[in-house]
Amino acid sequence: MQVIYQEGESLLHRLNPLSKVVAVVPVLLFVALTTDPWLPLAFIALASAVIVGPARIAPGTFWRLQAPLTISLLVFMILYPFMVRAELFDRTPVVLRLGPLLLYQGAVLAGTAAVLRVYAMFLLSLIFMLTTDISDFIRAMVQQWRFPYRFGYGILAAFHFMPLLQEEFRLIQAAHRIRGIETHGGVRVHVERLRRYLIPLLTSAIRRAERTALAMESRAFGALKQRSYFRRFRFSRTDYLFILCFWLLCLLVIALFWLNGWMGPLSFTKEL
Amino acid sequence: MSETRTALIEIEDLTVKYPGRRMPALEHLQLQLRAGETLLLLGPSGSGKSTLALTLNGLIPHSIGKLQSGHVRVAGLDTRQTTVAALAQRVGILFQDPEAQFVMFTVEDEIAFGLENLCFSPDEMERRISESLRLVGLTELRYRRVEQLSGGEKQRVALAALLALEPEILVFDEPTANLDPQGTREVFDLLRRCKETGRYTIVLIEHRLDELMDLVERMVVLDKRGEVVIDGTPREVLRAHLSTLQELGVWVPQVARLAHALQQHGWPLEPFPLTLSEAVEALKERRPLSAGRQASSALPSLVSVHNTGRQRSPASPPIKPDPGREEAAIEVCSLSYRAAGRQVLQDISLAIPRGAFLALVGANGAGKTTLAQHLIGVLQPPRGCVHLLGRDITTISARELTRHVGYVFQNPEHQFITEAVEDEVAYGLRVMGLPATEVQGRTHALLERFNLLPLARANPFTLSHGEKRRLSVATMLAMGQEILILDEPTFGQDEYNATALLELLWQLHSEGRTVVIITHDMSLVATYAQYVAVMNHGRLLFYGTPAALFAREELLAEARLMLPPLAQLARRLGWSDLLTLEELCERCLQDSSLGLSEPLAAADDAAPVEGGRTCK
Repeated sequence: MQVIYQEGESLLHRLNPLSKVVAVVPVLLFVALTTDPWLPLAFIALASAVIVGPARIAPGTFWRLQAPLTISLLVFMILYPFMVRAELFDRTPVVLRLGPLLLYQGAVLAGTAAVLRVYAMFLLSLIFMLTTDISDFIRAMVQQWRFPYRFGYGILAAFHFMPLLQEEFRLIQAAHRIRGIETHGGVRVHVERLRRYLIPLLTSAIRRAERTALAMESRAFGALKQRSYFRRFRFSRTDYLFILCFWLLCLLVIALFWLNGWMGPLSFTKEL
Repeated sequence: MSETRTALIEIEDLTVKYPGRRMPALEHLQLQLRAGETLLLLGPSGSGKSTLALTLNGLIPHSIGKLQSGHVRVAGLDTRQTTVAALAQRVGILFQDPEAQFVMFTVEDEIAFGLENLCFSPDEMERRISESLRLVGLTELRYRRVEQLSGGEKQRVALAALLALEPEILVFDEPTANLDPQGTREVFDLLRRCKETGRYTIVLIEHRLDELMDLVERMVVLDKRGEVVIDGTPREVLRAHLSTLQELGVWVPQVARLAHALQQHGWPLEPFPLTLSEAVEALKERRPLSAGRQASSALPSLVSVHNTGRQRSPASPPIKPDPGREEAAIEVCSLSYRAAGRQVLQDISLAIPRGAFLALVGANGAGKTTLAQHLIGVLQPPRGCVHLLGRDITTISARELTRHVGYVFQNPEHQFITEAVEDEVAYGLRVMGLPATEVQGRTHALLERFNLLPLARANPFTLSHGEKRRLSVATMLAMGQEILILDEPTFGQDEYNATALLELLWQLHSEGRTVVIITHDMSLVATYAQYVAVMNHGRLLFYGTPAALFAREELLAEARLMLPPLAQLARRLGWSDLLTLEELCERCLQDSSLGLSEPLAAADDAAPVEGGRTCK
């Protein structure tokens, strides 16, 4: 998650990490229940606006970060109508005939809706992910939501670990290649190779973990039941205001769709 | 509470054992330390120096290990009965690996971490954070993220985090082992500043000693079993016990080695020098001995003591980047490489002649390893950029490449792929498809040569650090590779193992193999390297002989490198053409038979260094 976090000074960056969670999660759940393509589209627009607007993420950066998912979703959208069970949609008109392949309108719509729904949920969570330092999030959880601190700070230390471990893996891979290890072959060769990586990787991971643990304990980590906090995380008026505004905005969009009858049934109200 | 006591740290009959280990890490250790004292703790690897550090802050026995006997008292408090929280405010330990010490992501948070653990109030934290940042000189980096800092800065932040807890005792457990020369200097400067405040009792575990000896008031030496074998002032210890120290395999100041060598040839320096300045003084003051005691007769024995089979090739010619394709083992032509939006290598051209011993130096991030990785196919150079033994490297298959080039990684464990030492060596030979008897024969010979025969059946991961390193070199030579590239081969090794390895490399070099070493150790460069290539910000800044490099101070400064201690000494005596202990020693002894006016006069006619050194 640290990889996707964009440093900044915007309004959203300055918010309490938890207020962003509180604001976004209910909306996220609602979008998960939608079945039509239009409402997710509205939330895609809303989330994008928040990301490049108040969160001050450069549109280029935003585009680059969401591109991989967009591409995989597009692939899914194209394949979905061909993969889905035909009897679900064979009452809808055929839009395209490719030899033996039939493309039903219903299938295309359902695929599009699914993809847009996932994409909307992704963008909504990006509001949180792009603007929240993971260490702030964990510390806020520890301070405000009584997440056990020994566990929380352990996770933080683990975050330092990941890039180091990745680097280590790359090195071991290179080192083994230089030894003249079989680089191609079947599944067995592949599994065997991974097993060989594992021993040096684990040894150094354990050694590193041990060192980190010693360094932490040397500074009295875990020595007392309580700990104090240099930076206190609490909800300020801005945080409440943000949550309120975000919810109102979302409700407005939903109401608009509802009143105009543009909204399809929600997952649990829809009878199949 | 302990005003009456004279000792701040009292260790009595201490035996420490780790679970699962047969031998204790420390045995019947006896040590007392007065407040304000600065102690240098020496010992071969595995002698329990770090273990001793952990007993001081109570992590042993509270978190790991077991006190089998004896006790440790810090400021009168028995560590067994005192909480880690209380001890953390008395003893701060700066560890070796800056990466492994961080929990938080910004400098400020990292320093606050320890204070938060101890439940300080935010106001008090604020005071201590800004105070400790001021002490380490990083106030302006307060809101920086730690991963953006250089190695030296990381260690300074780690120290600031310790200082914030206001300990009385600071333990420096090889804090510069992972740093480049620039970072090392930063940490040493800081250490010096800590000492100057007079607030701290300092325990120092370190092997780059020459720049620190003036701070040290006392030296304690542990042996392999973790017992104190020598305890005294640095001058006493180094004067009387230098050979014991060298037998134990611990690093000793280069200046002391020189003085000791001179002493052995009847040319003692008074007072026995510990630092460069003292050595300069002593050597300038030194009156020649009575003419009867000729030093030159002693020379051959001196050389054989320090020079086991190592002879510098006479008058190595300066090499131009392109000496002709046939003779080059490796030839790189305008190689550039970009990664993650950064120019890691920029227009590198150099040719390494066959049979050369080359050192590749430069600050961290200068591109040394990246360059080396282009030579072994870990990174793919563009066609025509890298030639190996006259062939374009892109046309050589990975399998074949391993037969020509051996590469020893910084961490030897990365390269182990089998479960026994002998299989490890035999692996490459089997891949080559050699008959079993020949594989066996060659394996045996290699193990014998690398002194690993008794360990043939052991699992590579269970070897000691030095043995692992030897094994990794052995595996890299099994196929008879002509070119050997080593990334920081002496990293984390004690003097005994480091020297043994370097002598071995020198032997291989004498047999005609090409050896390339990536290193931060400039003494190594001075003693062994035939050529040195200096990288800086992805460019090749210099390529020539060590002597030529050391003569160019502006270049060293630009590349953030330092002269090795003995070369500094030679420079200050006006002998800028001398680099190694042997050469210096020889010169001193010659001068002793000539009279003193020479050394200073010699400054003017110091041989031009370009064009390599001649040997005697």
